[in-house]
Amino acid sequence: MANSPNDVVIINAIRTPFAKAGGPLAGVHASELGRVALKELIAQTNLDINEVDEVIIGNTGSPSDAVNISRVIALRAGLPLGVSAHTVHRNCASALQSITSGFDKIKAGVADVVIAGGTESMSQLPLIHTKEFQNIFGEFAFSKTIGKKLGALKKLKMKHLKPRISVVEGLTDPFCGINMGQTAEVLAKEFGISRVEQDEFALMSHERAVAAQESGRLAEEITPVFLAPKYKKIIGEDVGPRKGQNMKSLAKLRPYFDRKYGTITVGNACPLTDGGAMMLLMSRKKAEELGYKPMASISSYAYAGLDPRKMGLGPAFATPKALKLAGLDLKDMAAIELNEAFAAQVIACEKALASDSFCQKELGLSKAVGEIDRGKLNINGGAIALGHPVGTTGTRLVMTLMRELKNKNQEHGLATLCIGGGQGGALVLKNEA
Amino acid sequence: MNIETNRDNKMTLVNKESIKIVNKGDIALVEFDLPGEKVNKLSSPVMKRLKEVVEELKASSYKAAILISRKKKIFIAGADIEEIKRLKTKEEYKLVLDEAHLIFNALEDLKIPTIAAIHGACMGGGCELILACDYRIATTDKSTKIGLPEVKLGIFPGFGGCIRLPRVVGLQSALDIILAGKSVISKKALKIGLIDKAVPAELLEEQAMILANEIVSGKKSKRQKTFKAKGVANKLLDGPLKSVVYKQARKMTLKQSKGFYPAPIAALDVIKKTYKKMKREKALAVEVAAFCEVAITDISKHLINLFFMMEGIKKKTGVADTSVKPLPVKDIAVMGAGTMGGGIAYVAADKGIATRMKDISNEALAIGFGAARKIWNKKLKRRRITKYDLDQKMNLISGGLDFASFQSKDVVIEAIVEDMKIKKMVLAQTEAETSENCIIATNTSSLSVNEMGVDLKRPENFLGMHFFNPVDKMPLVEVIRGEKTSDEAVATIFDLSKRMGKTPVVVKDSVGFLVNRLLLPWMSEAVYMLEEGCDMAKIDRYYTHKFGMPMGPFRLMDEVGLDVCVKIIKIFNKALGDRFEVPAIVQKLSESDRLGNKNKKGFYKYNEKGRAEGIDESVYTEFGVTKGSANIDEKQAIERGMFRMINEASRALIEEKVVETAGECDLAMIMGTGFPPFRGGLLKYADELGSDYVVGQLEVYASKYGKRFEPSQAMNNLAKSKRSFY
Repeated sequence: MANSPNDVVIINAIRTPFAKAGGPLAGVHASELGRVALKELIAQTNLDINEVDEVIIGNTGSPSDAVNISRVIALRAGLPLGVSAHTVHRNCASALQSITSGFDKIKAGVADVVIAGGTESMSQLPLIHTKEFQNIFGEFAFSKTIGKKLGALKKLKMKHLKPRISVVEGLTDPFCGINMGQTAEVLAKEFGISRVEQDEFALMSHERAVAAQESGRLAEEITPVFLAPKYKKIIGEDVGPRKGQNMKSLAKLRPYFDRKYGTITVGNACPLTDGGAMMLLMSRKKAEELGYKPMASISSYAYAGLDPRKMGLGPAFATPKALKLAGLDLKDMAAIELNEAFAAQVIACEKALASDSFCQKELGLSKAVGEIDRGKLNINGGAIALGHPVGTTGTRLVMTLMRELKNKNQEHGLATLCIGGGQGGALVLKNEA
Repeated sequence: MNIETNRDNKMTLVNKESIKIVNKGDIALVEFDLPGEKVNKLSSPVMKRLKEVVEELKASSYKAAILISRKKKIFIAGADIEEIKRLKTKEEYKLVLDEAHLIFNALEDLKIPTIAAIHGACMGGGCELILACDYRIATTDKSTKIGLPEVKLGIFPGFGGCIRLPRVVGLQSALDIILAGKSVISKKALKIGLIDKAVPAELLEEQAMILANEIVSGKKSKRQKTFKAKGVANKLLDGPLKSVVYKQARKMTLKQSKGFYPAPIAALDVIKKTYKKMKREKALAVEVAAFCEVAITDISKHLINLFFMMEGIKKKTGVADTSVKPLPVKDIAVMGAGTMGGGIAYVAADKGIATRMKDISNEALAIGFGAARKIWNKKLKRRRITKYDLDQKMNLISGGLDFASFQSKDVVIEAIVEDMKIKKMVLAQTEAETSENCIIATNTSSLSVNEMGVDLKRPENFLGMHFFNPVDKMPLVEVIRGEKTSDEAVATIFDLSKRMGKTPVVVKDSVGFLVNRLLLPWMSEAVYMLEEGCDMAKIDRYYTHKFGMPMGPFRLMDEVGLDVCVKIIKIFNKALGDRFEVPAIVQKLSESDRLGNKNKKGFYKYNEKGRAEGIDESVYTEFGVTKGSANIDEKQAIERGMFRMINEASRALIEEKVVETAGECDLAMIMGTGFPPFRGGLLKYADELGSDYVVGQLEVYASKYGKRFEPSQAMNNLAKSKRSFY
C-alpha cells in the first residue's frame, strides 16, 4: 500500500521497567508509573507539548484517587491544561485500545497528535469491604441518635470484616464465574497441551528475556524509575526474567488453579505486575510537518469476541480479522508479539491458527490461517518472564514489535493478545524506520 | 513660578482622584485609587486628601463608611518610601508623623462606624490605616496580606501601629508581627483577631455593604476593638506577666539581629512603655519620639537604599540597550546533577520552570532529585507548601544520561566539574545537541568565560551564570558577560535569574568575577594573620560579632573547601601578581588533609553531627605557629581584611569596570556574601570612612606588612580629590 498523509504513524514509545506486584515498584502509584514514562517520551522526542491533541491511557484498576488516570498523568507530566485526556478500559487490551482509539481519531481527522499508553499498579489494587460492612457503615453514618448508631453497630459480625480482594475479583470472569487461570486450564485440556510443553515454553520466555536484557535490547525501550522520597533506589530494568531458570525447578511447582488434574503453575503463567508505557502517535502529514521520522505505521487492527471460558484463544479470533483488513497473510509477518498470559493459551492459539478444522468451524474461514514460526514469536521473551501489567501490556507489545522490525529491518509485524471476558485484539504494524 | 503652579495642579489632581467618596445612600464608599500608579500609597498628597475626606465624612450625614481599594491586587502598599528617603532631620520626621496621627485620630474619632474592606497587599501605613477603622474584613485571595514590614527598612511602624496593633490583637501577636516585620494572610489575620471576617474576593464589596447596613439598621455600632485574651495563661501574659513576654521578645530579637539592628528593640520599648499604660495621644507621642531617633540613623538609610536597589533590579534588563528584550524561556536543562546542578534544578522548578538534568550516571541524577526533594520536604513539614505543590514541583524535574529533550531547551546551564578541558569538551557537545537559539550558560566560579567559549560556534549565545552555594539560600547570581556575548543572551539570563527568585548582577569576565575577587583578599589576609600568630577564633569573632559578617574568614574558608581556596589563591597569584602572593601556610595547607567542612577537618573542629564547633587548636602547631604570639585588636583585624577588599574593589570597579556601578558592587556583596546590609555595602562603608582615611591606613599597613596593601591608582585618585565611590 502506498503512503498516505492520513496514515497513523508511531514516532517513539517508552516504558518503565516491569516488576512483579509486591516487588520494588509496589510503592509507586499507577499515575506515577505513567508520568515517568510520558515525561521521558516527551524528552526523547523533543515534543512540543502544545501540539498534543489528546491523551488516551489504558488502565484497569482505576485507582480511587485518580479515576480518570489519563488526565492525572497528562497534567503531572507537564502537558498544557488545555489538552484533553481520557482513560480507556478493555481489560488486558486497555493499552492496545488506547492505540486503536488514537488510530481512529487520527484517521477520522479529529486529531493529529495523540499520546497513547497504559499504566497499572497491580500491587496497589485495594482490598474492599464486604457489601454487608458497607451497608452497616452507611446505616451508622446516617443514623442521628446514639441508640440508632449502636443498633447499626450491633449488626456487625467478624465475617463482615473479611476483605474482598479486588485483584482476585478482577481476574475472575463475572459472566461465567471462573478465573483466568481456569480459562487456561480449559484450553490446555481441550487442545491437549502437556505440562512439559508449557514449561518448555515458559523456559524459552525467560531465556529470551535474559538474552534481550544482556544484549541491551530491552534497555532501548526502558527509562528508569527513581524511588521517592530519597531517590537512592533506582529500578532500571525488568525484574521478572530469571537467569538460570530450568525445567527442573519449573517442574517442581504445583498446579495452581486445578490442584488435582491441572497443568497451569505460577511458573508457566504470567505474574501480576506493575509498570507503565507511553507511545506517541501522529498523522503522517503532521509528522512530516514537525520533521519527525516515524518508526512504524499502523496498517490495521481488529477486536473479536469469543466464549469467556476460552478467552485465551482471543488472538486466534482477532488475528485473521486484522490481517484481512491489512491485506496481508500470517506468513507476511516477520515478527509476532503474542501476549503470554499463560503458556497453554499461547500454544492453544498456535494450534488453533494452524488447524483447518478450527479455522473453518470457529472462524468461518476456508482453511487454516497458518503456522506461527517460533523463531519469529516473542523473540525478546514475553509476559511469562517480563510480566503483564494488565492495563499496560498492549503498548509494550506494540513497542517491542516496532523496535524488533526496526532493528532487523523487516517489513510487517503482528501484535496480539487475549482479553479477559472473552475477547482478542490484534494490530498489524509496518516498519518505517 | 510656572513650575510651582504645575506641580500644585498636579498635586491637586492627585488629591481629588486618589480618594473618592461614592454616595451609596446612608453609606459612604471611600475608594482609594491613586492615578497613574499601579499601587496605592500614603504619600503626603494622598494624606492631604485623606484629611479632606475625613473632614467631609465628619460633616456629612452618612451613617457608615467603607474604605476600599480600586487597585487589582493592592489595598495600600504603605507609606511613600521615596518621601521617607528625602527626610533628613528629626524635626522633618516629627512634622510628617504628627500630621499623620492627626488624620488617623480624626478617622478613628468619626462618630460613624468605619469598615476597612481589604483586598491585596495591606502593608505598613496601609495596615496602620485599617487599625484606625472600627471593622476590618479581608478577602481570602492569595494576594491579600496584612503586615508591618517597617523593621526591614531600619524603622518601625510610625503611623500608630505600635499603639493600635497590640490593642487590637494583643501583645504576643503584635510583637510577632512588628518585631520581625511580618505579614499575615487573611486566615491567620482572622485567627488573631486582626480582621473580623475573611470573605471570597468577589464578595468583598457586597459583604462590606451588608455589614454597613447592619450598622445603619442599628444592629452594629461604633466600637474600638480591644483584645481579650483567652485562657488563664494568655490572660496573665497579656496582663500582669507582660514583662515575661517583653523579656523573651527582647532575647529573640537580639539573637536574630545580633544587636546590629536597633529598630525592633526601639519598637519593643515603645510598646512596653505604652501598652495598657498610656492614653492614645501620649502613647503616640512616645512612638513619634522613638521613631525619629531610629529614622535618622545610617542603618535605616542603608536599608532603604538597599530596598531601592532591589526595586531597581526588578526594572532592569541587564543591558544598556532598552530595545533588547529577553527571549522567552520555558524549559531549561542543567548539565550535572551535583550540589550546584541539583540546586539550580531546585530553584528553577520551585518557580515553575521545567528542568532536565543530565549527568553521567543514574546514581548522580538520584543525588539531584534527592537534594531538591529534601528542601521541599522541609517546606511541606512547615506547611509552606502542600503535598500537591510538592508533587507538582518535583514533577518539573526530570533527568537523563543522554541529550534527550535538549533540542527543545531554551537555556542550558552547565554545572559540571571545574576543569577547563572537560568543560570545553562538554560545551561543544552541548552546542551540537541544542537548537540555534539555545543559550548556554556556565556556572563556573573561577574559570574564564571567554577562554571557555573560544571554540564554540555560537559564542554570542554563551555566557556565565554564577550561582552561589547553597543555591537555594544564596540570592546572588553573577551574570558574566563574555567578549562575544550578545545583548539578548545577557538579557535572557538576567530575566531567568529574576524568575528563579535571584538577584542578578552583570559582571565582566575577569579572575574570580566580582564577589570571589573581593572575598579572596579578605580570606588571604586572615591566613597572613594566622601566620603571624593571631588567634583565629578572635578574628572570626571580630568579623561576626563586631562587623556583622555572617561568618568569619576562617569559617568561610572551611565552608568553601580549603582545597578550593588553595586552588583559587594560586590562580589569583598567577593572574593578578604580587598583591596576591601565596601565604606560606597555604602551601602547607595544600599538602595537608584538611579540606574543611567537606571532610570535617579544617580550621574548625566538627562534632558528630558534622557541625563546626570552635577552632581546631591543633592547626597552630601543625602549621608551626605559636598561638597568641601576635596580638591583634578589633580595629586592625577588621581594617586589614576590609581595606584590602576595598582596595581590590577600586581596581575592579574603576580601573577594570568589572561591574558598572558602586551600587551593583555593594548589592553583589550583600547578596553574595552576606555583607552586613545595615552597613549599606562594602563601598558605602568605605565612603563613610572617607577615601583619604582608607588610603592613609593602606599606606600604614603597606609599610608594615608589604606590597599587598599598596593603594591602587584609582584609590589614590579618589583620596586626592576627596571623592567617594558613590
